[in-house]
Amino acid sequence: MIRVSLLTVMLALVSTQLQAAGDYRRGLEKSQVCQSCHGRTGNESLQPSYPKLAGQHEDYLVHALKSYRDGSRQNAVMAGFAGNLSDADIADLAAWYSRQDGLSDLEID
Amino acid sequence: MRLIWIAVVLAALVPPSVLAEGDPERGKIIAYTCTGCHGIPFYKNVYPTYTVPKIGGQNQEYLIVALKAYREGTRQHATMQAQASTLSDQDILDVTAYFVSFGENGP
Repeated sequence: MIRVSLLTVMLALVSTQLQAAGDYRRGLEKSQVCQSCHGRTGNESLQPSYPKLAGQHEDYLVHALKSYRDGSRQNAVMAGFAGNLSDADIADLAAWYSRQDGLSDLEID
Repeated sequence: MRLIWIAVVLAALVPPSVLAEGDPERGKIIAYTCTGCHGIPFYKNVYPTYTVPKIGGQNQEYLIVALKAYREGTRQHATMQAQASTLSDQDILDVTAYFVSFGENGP
């Protein structure tokens, strides 16, 4: 009986983890609107004042989209798009763009 | 006279991205502080917790807009506002020119 409940707890933990991580394939499907400004991989910015998203940290992308959604980060264009996204949408989109080749950390020498 | 007008019109049409240049060598010196967070892979911001964004190879215009927004206080982040408040327009041009240099061919 203890084993069964342990298994249940573990399964519950795993499923939460998966949910939080997002599905990059769904992210690609949901990214149609994003692509018109950021491109398919997030490297093809329509304007130089728009950021590249490709290879950006997944949790940072989630933070950015949620900040646009709740208004703590202000941008008229992004507020409009992010306002329509669910937590799952945000997780999926972040999963897609973070898995592309692009941005890098700075190197110290 | 007509040629001058054509030159003026053409100059006005050049997108700002071309005008945003800056000196990456000078920027590298300014960027020393930035690497304390943006140069450490998977370094975390706290409250809320998220990984500090990658800025190597980012679009220069975007970085300029971001730094100026932090400096003016229209974009919120205590540490970034404090850092950006020390930067002049020229500093921002130079430091972002250095960040861009981390693009495809490396710095």
